Amino acid sequence: MEGMDYLRPRNLRDAFNAIEKTKGLIKFIAGGTNVIPDIRAETLSPKLIVDLSVLKSLYYIKETNRTISIGALTTISEIVKSDVIRRVAPILSSAAHQLGNTLTRNRATLGGNLADASPAADMAPPLLALEALIHTKCGQESGRKISLDKFFLGPNKTVLAKDEIITKITFLKPKESAHGSYIKLGLRDSMAISIVSLAVMLQVENNVCQKARIALGAVAPTPVRSYRVEKELEGREMSIKNIHEIAVLIEKEISPISDIRASAEYRKYETSVLLKRAIQQALERGKK
Amino acid sequence: MKTYSIHIILNGESIKIDVAAQETLLETLRDKLGATEVKNGCGKGDCGSCAVLLDGVAVNSCLTLTLQADGKEITTIKGIGNDENPHPLQKSFIEKGAIQCGFCTAGMIVSAKALLDTNLRPSREQIRDAISGNLCRCTGYKKIIDAIQDVAFESKP
Amino acid sequence: MSDTKKIETPHKKSFKSVGKPQPRHDARDKAFGYTKYADDLSILGMLYAKVLRSEYAAANILSIDTKKAEKLPGVRAVLTAKDVPNNETITRFGQTHSVGGFEGLYRVLADKKVRFKGEAIALVAAETIAIAEKAVKLIRANYDPLPGVFDPIEAMKPGAYQVGEGKSNVICNYKVRKGDVKKGFSLSDVIVENTYRVPFVDHAYIEPESGVAWTGEDGIINIQASTQVIEHFREIADVLGFPHNKVRVIGTMIGGGFGGKEDITVETYLALLAWKTKKPVKLTFTREESVLSHSKRHPYIMKYRTGATKDGKIMALEAELISDAGGYVYLSPWVLLYSTVGATGPYDIPHVKVDSCTVLTNNTFSSAFRGFGVPQVCFAYESQMDELARLLNLSPLEIRTRNYLRKGKALATGRVLDHYVALPETAEKALEALGKKRRPRSPAEKIGHGIASAMTSYGRMVFLHDTSRSYVGIEMDGSVTVRCGVQDLGGGQASSLAQIAAEELGVPMDDVRVYIADTALTPLAGTTTATRQLYMSGNATLMAAKEVKKRLLEKAAQMLDVVIDDLDLKDRKVLLRRKPGKTISLKNLVRACASDGIPLYKVAQFNAPFRELIDFKKGQGQVFPDFTFGTHAVEVAVDAETGKVQLLRLIACLDVGKAINPLSVEGQLEGGAIQGMGYALMEDVILKNGVTLTPSFSEYLIPTSLDVVDVECIMLESRDGVGPYGAKGVGEPSMVSIAPAIVNAVCDALGVRIFELPVTPEKIVKALKKA
Repeated sequence: MEGMDYLRPRNLRDAFNAIEKTKGLIKFIAGGTNVIPDIRAETLSPKLIVDLSVLKSLYYIKETNRTISIGALTTISEIVKSDVIRRVAPILSSAAHQLGNTLTRNRATLGGNLADASPAADMAPPLLALEALIHTKCGQESGRKISLDKFFLGPNKTVLAKDEIITKITFLKPKESAHGSYIKLGLRDSMAISIVSLAVMLQVENNVCQKARIALGAVAPTPVRSYRVEKELEGREMSIKNIHEIAVLIEKEISPISDIRASAEYRKYETSVLLKRAIQQALERGKK
Repeated sequence: MKTYSIHIILNGESIKIDVAAQETLLETLRDKLGATEVKNGCGKGDCGSCAVLLDGVAVNSCLTLTLQADGKEITTIKGIGNDENPHPLQKSFIEKGAIQCGFCTAGMIVSAKALLDTNLRPSREQIRDAISGNLCRCTGYKKIIDAIQDVAFESKP
Repeated sequence: MSDTKKIETPHKKSFKSVGKPQPRHDARDKAFGYTKYADDLSILGMLYAKVLRSEYAAANILSIDTKKAEKLPGVRAVLTAKDVPNNETITRFGQTHSVGGFEGLYRVLADKKVRFKGEAIALVAAETIAIAEKAVKLIRANYDPLPGVFDPIEAMKPGAYQVGEGKSNVICNYKVRKGDVKKGFSLSDVIVENTYRVPFVDHAYIEPESGVAWTGEDGIINIQASTQVIEHFREIADVLGFPHNKVRVIGTMIGGGFGGKEDITVETYLALLAWKTKKPVKLTFTREESVLSHSKRHPYIMKYRTGATKDGKIMALEAELISDAGGYVYLSPWVLLYSTVGATGPYDIPHVKVDSCTVLTNNTFSSAFRGFGVPQVCFAYESQMDELARLLNLSPLEIRTRNYLRKGKALATGRVLDHYVALPETAEKALEALGKKRRPRSPAEKIGHGIASAMTSYGRMVFLHDTSRSYVGIEMDGSVTVRCGVQDLGGGQASSLAQIAAEELGVPMDDVRVYIADTALTPLAGTTTATRQLYMSGNATLMAAKEVKKRLLEKAAQMLDVVIDDLDLKDRKVLLRRKPGKTISLKNLVRACASDGIPLYKVAQFNAPFRELIDFKKGQGQVFPDFTFGTHAVEVAVDAETGKVQLLRLIACLDVGKAINPLSVEGQLEGGAIQGMGYALMEDVILKNGVTLTPSFSEYLIPTSLDVVDVECIMLESRDGVGPYGAKGVGEPSMVSIAPAIVNAVCDALGVRIFELPVTPEKIVKALKKA
């Protein structure tokens, strides 16, 4: 990819100024674990590459009374190691640990994983289940807050404008009574693209579900929430019979494709199997 | 072709170099700096044979733009140890038969070093996890894990 | 090494170096990053080569326009078929002995017709890789796409699309006939009939194909490449129209071969470009290019019918084997022969009928891959054994024990087994080590146990009249030099020779330097394939070292006025057995010999047994020098809801004859087992209409450190192999019987059988749903 230019901005304003002046495709790079293979495969031919990895202010994990705030450039490795995340949102730790492999996790960033918007993006299901907010900064305007479930438009497509970058991801700390589970099904146990991934957050009192959040990856053009199944669960007693009945409904909510890794039928079937399992695991964690 | 002037520290040596935007650290190391101990097995982060330490963190050099390594310390296997001054990991790999064709070895030892730098007594599971991005086709991994575990037990804090 | 069990048959000799776990001499350079693999080589003024490959699996090439590419600044050569002096050669198997009847067309560059996607059409050499890549894109190839054929059964039908230039896509077929299977089936109380399928598999060596070439003095073409066969210098010379002695091939340390670098990969392209440009050239494949264009393991469709009495005695075996050769013949006839001869497994069966054929299709060509046709049939015959056991209510061990071959019994091809057969011994020991099934950890988890046995040949087919040469010499200071053409794949091929020379000459292994793999300077040792190097070059080195030792001891005997039998070489000295204090240093002895004009070097040639070609009409005769017997035992946990298989234990029990370097032997057993695991559970080169859908390591999956279990090795040492010190070969035997052991374990866990590899989670769930 000859003729590509590189910009290392000193701060965000620098970056936006340069973007304004550039004609042609601009690509942001953070960890590079998706961008670089795309450039080499020539599925991406940017005129300018803007290196966000130097913006130190975007690496952090902060906890306040009510929220968790993760800088967009925080690496997946950092999330795996974070005691805060493990304590507050173990499903996010779990998803982070199963992304790629140790080497790629040391470079891949949370913002990058979401902006790349693969239908199988590992970090999306748990963040959807946590009802995360994407915070952005944009050219001349100050930026906006986008609910993650409104962020993805299609495979590798998001609502981000050409000159808009993610600065941080936030979510409210789940209540004490809320517990979750994350399951990833892949063809091997490292460096595996998900066949199905799902994240569940349940708030249960006296064995009745008060609040349910269910998110899926790799079974639709984007990572998705399953509002219908969530509604079915809320208010219901968490008996095995009920869980089985409701879990099967998920098969109608998703539209997986058949590809070299798995058929659509298998993905559908496994989604309901793993949803049952995830709900049961979340319940068990609640009992402890 | 436009190039940019940067400076890196390779195995302790300060180097000034001109690189293009799309140049990866793997290419710069192998083709411009003669660091052929860093291997190219796949070019896109699927095999780990190109692993180096970047400011002490193990990364795929094929997934790092050289420009992103500006001002940083890069350690390859040659910076970890050599014939005169072997690192315990290298001695252990040799003694335990953890090297067959040897093509994955440099990357494996880099990942192992990164592990031992933060965890002196890793469990076997933690070792497997640390090398989960390094493919080996010859050994079945057992002797590699044995070799790393052996060093772990001997390390002093 | 503490968890490896070695069971030795008592023997008189005690070893100094052999039999001890030794760090390999090549390990040091590899650990420090000093070893230069092919792509690490650099020559001043070197050009970079790139290959243009066919866009279609089947097509006529109407025209190739290279003008634009040639004009690009920095491009030094653009070659197509017309530029190759002898673009087509006929491959005849066997380096020294011609075997007629199985001749395959080998084409350097596609000419007029394309036979698989990825076939090389043109070559470019340019000053930088970027320019070479650009130039390749500027070459305009004009194709007339043809329908092609992608399934061997379709390809066999009359009127099928012809892949090659002949009248039939069937390359060859074989038969084995023993007794009368009709009679055998009539005597059987149960008959099991199943069809088994196995896929294209990639060698997935971490080092892609690579080499450099340059023109040397007197116009000699030098090629330094990652290759298992430096003897290809002959074919390369024939392509160029050069005399054989003006092409030199030097083998680099190879970053994995497994049979994928057995055929020519980059060498001819390099030779042509170096010759045309008169400049050094380098060519390294990308990973995608490697998956796309190098050989694969043959897919097989295997129809098996096995009949047994209610006591479990097998009376009849009928097998039909069809293999997919892909676009060119390469080694398909030989792989097929191995499968055909090995189709019955290590069992004594009175009535046998095997029919096999290998068929051209427009898929990527298939050729050698560790096991060479035997892993495929082993999957079939070992699955059949467990199916019979199930029907007859016998254990997997019982049914096998009732049918295992023994020393003195004959194979279905008539060859009598004249060496120790470690069956049922390896099966018993493997099962004993496996112990009891562990408890499932969750309601969906099912635990299963499985075994599989195999007999795998080592050493090449005996009608090829295989030979190997090695030079052993002592320098003036007592250090030892070995020169041998052996190519080192990473299996310790070179290091073993050092160990053997050290053993015979009584020096530490570090005193021995091995120079390898140079057709100009090292005696040719033959291919590093067919698990033959330890057997062949090991024996040649042993012969040479023994001769040198004899000369040394003869001189020493004269100096000490004793007989040779009183003397031994140990610790760089000659010593008198009954008076250990009386010694002569090796260095002084060497000087004494030199002074007398006694040559302290020997080039020895080891000949494998030479036999005539077998009778292909009935499949009777000897094919191999010897076999390695072994059994794998496996414990798996299967998640019955997702179909995911987790290996809990994997035990490899083989009779290795004599472990020259136990560390190396274990390395083969462990590595081979995991390669077998990949074959069983996850490896599949998916081709659709000749297009590879798994082009890189993201799609083509091999086991990672998180997928595997620690392989447990039990090495038996019968000392009854034909290799040095009674060693047997283990390179291929170590991977043959794992896949069926795993599939048998999965079947044991779930009660359903999968007849197709790889056994993916989806296939398991489908099979469970059907049941």
